[in-house]
Amino acid sequence: MLRYVIRRLIQMVFLFLAFLTVTWFLLYILPGDAVALKYAGNPNIPPEAREVALQRLGLDKPVLIQFRDYMVNFFQGDLGVSFNQYPRPVTEIIGERLPRTLVLFLAALVTYYWAGFLAGKYLAWRRGSRGEMLITVSGVGLYSLFLPFFALMMIWLFSVQLDLLPISKFLDPEKWRDAPFMANEVFMRLFWVTLTAAIAMFAASFAALRTNNRRLERTLRWGGIALAALWFLFYWFGTPSGQDMRVYAGDIGYHMVLPVLVLTLINFGGVMLLTRSSMLETLREDYILTARAKGLPEGVVRDRHAARTALLPVVTSLVLAVATVIDGGVITEAVFSWPGMGEILISSVISEDIPLAVGAFSFIGIMALIGHFVVDVLYGVLDPRIRVTEHG
Amino acid sequence: MMNAVETRTEDPDIPDVLGAEVDSWWKIRLALTRRSFRENWKIFRRNKVGLLGLVIIAFWAIMAAMPTVFFATGFWNPATYDPVTGLELDPPTRTMVMVERITDPNTEIDRRAALLDGRIPDTLQIGDTFDLPLQPAPPDARHWLGTDPLGRDIMSQLMHGARASFFLGILAAVVTVVIGTTIGSMAAYFGGIVDASLMRLADLLIMIPGVALLIVIGGLFTFQLWHLAVVIGILSGFGGTAIVLKSQALAVKVKPFIDAARVAGGSASHIIFYHLIPNVMPLSVLYMMFTVTGAIQSEAVLSFLGILNTDTSWGLMMNLARTQGYLLQVTDYWWLTVPAGLSVTLLSAAFFLVGRGMDEIVNPRLRRR
Amino acid sequence: MTAPKLPLEESGGRAPLLEVDGLVMRYDTEAGEVSAVENVSFALARGEAMGLVGESGCGKTSVALSLLRLAPENARYQSGSVRWEGVNLLDLSDQQMREYRWAEISMVFQGAMNAWNPVYRVGAQIREAMDQHFDPPLGSSETEQRIDQLFQLVGLDPAVQRRYPHELSGGMRQRAVIAMALSCDPKLIIADEPTTALDVIVQAQILEELKEIQQDLGLSILYISHDMAVIAQVTDTIGVMYAGKMVEFGSTQEVFHRPSHPYSFLLLSSIPSVTGPRRRPMSLEGTPPNLLAPPSGCRFHPRCPWATEQCRQEEPPMMPIGPSQWAACWNAEQVPQMGEPAP
Repeated sequence: MLRYVIRRLIQMVFLFLAFLTVTWFLLYILPGDAVALKYAGNPNIPPEAREVALQRLGLDKPVLIQFRDYMVNFFQGDLGVSFNQYPRPVTEIIGERLPRTLVLFLAALVTYYWAGFLAGKYLAWRRGSRGEMLITVSGVGLYSLFLPFFALMMIWLFSVQLDLLPISKFLDPEKWRDAPFMANEVFMRLFWVTLTAAIAMFAASFAALRTNNRRLERTLRWGGIALAALWFLFYWFGTPSGQDMRVYAGDIGYHMVLPVLVLTLINFGGVMLLTRSSMLETLREDYILTARAKGLPEGVVRDRHAARTALLPVVTSLVLAVATVIDGGVITEAVFSWPGMGEILISSVISEDIPLAVGAFSFIGIMALIGHFVVDVLYGVLDPRIRVTEHG
Repeated sequence: MMNAVETRTEDPDIPDVLGAEVDSWWKIRLALTRRSFRENWKIFRRNKVGLLGLVIIAFWAIMAAMPTVFFATGFWNPATYDPVTGLELDPPTRTMVMVERITDPNTEIDRRAALLDGRIPDTLQIGDTFDLPLQPAPPDARHWLGTDPLGRDIMSQLMHGARASFFLGILAAVVTVVIGTTIGSMAAYFGGIVDASLMRLADLLIMIPGVALLIVIGGLFTFQLWHLAVVIGILSGFGGTAIVLKSQALAVKVKPFIDAARVAGGSASHIIFYHLIPNVMPLSVLYMMFTVTGAIQSEAVLSFLGILNTDTSWGLMMNLARTQGYLLQVTDYWWLTVPAGLSVTLLSAAFFLVGRGMDEIVNPRLRRR
Repeated sequence: MTAPKLPLEESGGRAPLLEVDGLVMRYDTEAGEVSAVENVSFALARGEAMGLVGESGCGKTSVALSLLRLAPENARYQSGSVRWEGVNLLDLSDQQMREYRWAEISMVFQGAMNAWNPVYRVGAQIREAMDQHFDPPLGSSETEQRIDQLFQLVGLDPAVQRRYPHELSGGMRQRAVIAMALSCDPKLIIADEPTTALDVIVQAQILEELKEIQQDLGLSILYISHDMAVIAQVTDTIGVMYAGKMVEFGSTQEVFHRPSHPYSFLLLSSIPSVTGPRRRPMSLEGTPPNLLAPPSGCRFHPRCPWATEQCRQEEPPMMPIGPSQWAACWNAEQVPQMGEPAP
């Protein structure tokens, strides 16, 4: 297992270098003068920034030196300075935005994968191949909904018509006028508490997957959820710093509901369809018949035998879907003005803030690479065939 | 399905066994293609999901053809109905009563009042009635889906948007197929370092979030519709499609007729283009459908964000509603957003459904038991 | 029609464990009703090994699955009974039926390759069945011990239980499947094509071991196979099925040496015999009938070289041929002497 992870890690490092090279190639080599024109010709750029930028570009230097400088700068964390927020370094802006994107993205990912898997599982189990047409069409319909339009309809319904949820942004400035905290401070706290709770839950359900004892499995699964919920409640209600921040954290959470809902619904259909067909396939396997012949209760046959194996193709699809999911996140952020990586990417592109745009894109790419790596490792954990052949 | 080889050039490498009757060679392939098309159509026809997709595509194809008919027959006057330059000079009006005269420009003026600027005679007194020209105007007999804030017909824009989507989708799909089959077949045929380097590149392209990349490229360069199609085609053709088609080409590569062609002295390019690619092509058509879905959605997103340089598209229609501030007034101005948004969804879903229907032909395991 | 049963004295006074009486099972499909099992009756005594032979699609697997009530969802039990120690299994609730599965009747499925769930260790999958059925539950060390013993019994290294299915060879996997089938002390094991996927040498070894285990533990085994020669080596009685019906039933000895239904006759005549009477090899022509619309009269008549008008019209009942042999053929008496059909 360790060797599998290490191999993947080395592959990832190479892919990352290739990614940087491709990005550089794309932006600096192919249309060298076009970029220079954008840099120099943009009247909104502060003059100091223009000089710095032209110097950084070093268009007079040989190509290989340019490439070396770009790589060295990147690894030193120097991505240049934003034009619009001059003289803030790009890395600083990204450092502020990245957690916000991660939170939104992870919350949606966990929700829709879980919901899609559950729905697909039950649809396959309950109805076999009946209602095929309806399920497929609604699944594909959800999957190919035009995201900005759908987000718009959801905002219109929940925020304009029903007035239940905020229209956009990640907090309500009115509430924060006298706040004793920086928004990001609260946000990071929210991030860590949620992350630890999620890790506890994940670890418990992972242990539940690995155990053979059914009673222990159930205890672990529900215990994990209970533990996460308890920790969450304890932090916000039991600790002094949590109590102080609670209102503000709640405001951020409140703003998250709609974007997460939109992302969940958009991606839900695909996961549901895939799980359902994977599960139907699995149900025809001989080991399902064996499990039934062993006299196992139907719930055990469904969850431990059919669903557990049907999970594999679903996780494989996640490997391929990481990029699509990130794309969805970028668009959602733009529509909801959620100040994360996607929003900064689009606004910097529109205002021709090139260093920020390139930096944001590089980090979105890194997110995709890391996501890819995590899913790959997860797959190795779930499928013993991969694990063993790799080190065998 | 697709027929890759239509004519044959003089190629000294083509062995005599095949070259005996040079002009009948492509006829044989055409006949084979026609036969497999017939058989596959039989399977496809039973698939309701795929048929539904096909019906929706046909509907949009007719929609896309309509403006030509309307303009040619004089049913639509280009001055009014052109999707870009058209203008309704005589918009419908609504009778209003003057309630309060806004004199102080610093008073908070609501947006609706500001719109009236210049359209109300100065001489009106409180209590007078007047006819307010509506722009955007709701649907009526002349404009079936109303007009946009610039006085242009929505229906006409919708139909022209369908054209743009078809053009983009089909071009992107063709680029995908050409690149995907070529790269996949080359990787499978040569193996070794060629295979490894092409596939690692494909791995990378799969991982790059496409829309984010398109946004960056679109921001740096002036992006035309066909540029977009080509970039999407390259991303999808070199990425996922190439990987899938490579494994298919590997399966074809071990078949005896490839050995036969090689023994007969066929060159690498001959085997790749005359034997591998035509056999991998049907599968690539499946991925073509999914590319079209992705292309239509990406275009709409980029236009919606105002990054794409194009005249008419569904995304652009929503972009206008967005920049003019009508985006959230769905109840009052639904025709500005709903038709365009639904169109994107419907057409891209249709191609996806057809792709799923084809999936059953390609993967017999999925067929109805 | 009477259910053919081995006379008790013949089977050494052993009480019947399983009695299948006039079982009729059909599948509802989009194309119509498929008559998969038609009026099948047989009995199986404790410690006895029985074989069910026939071409694929003849209903032998449907019969086997009916004993565990594991037939696919579209299966309908029209009539008949499956009595296990006097209890009709078809009348039980799902919950009650689960208690019989594996604890009383276990199964070795065809293609042991796919009988294992690829994501769990072999030992875990055996333990799962034991956890389900032992009451009071065994402690973990007892379970461990028992699995070790089972593995030794089937000739496997106990360490194998900590491996994943894909790490085992075909023969090891099949042996482990047998160990799993034995794990809850069942009285009957249904072995559905237990050796089909294996090479000939392993096939013979496993059959030999199964036979030994059966005799040592006093188990009953129901073998299901398309290969009469394989079955004959390990069984006491044989039932021959054709197109959902039992066409011949009797002691292996008698059926093998004096097949009394043309179908069994033709099946056997394709096996070259060294010790038995010399027969001219004859082949079985044609394909099994479409069970959506089975042929009139004797279901075998379209393929039977000796078919008469009576065969086309009337369905032959099971008729006694010898002391422990029954056959459903109008011309059963003549079959053993049959040679080339008259022109």
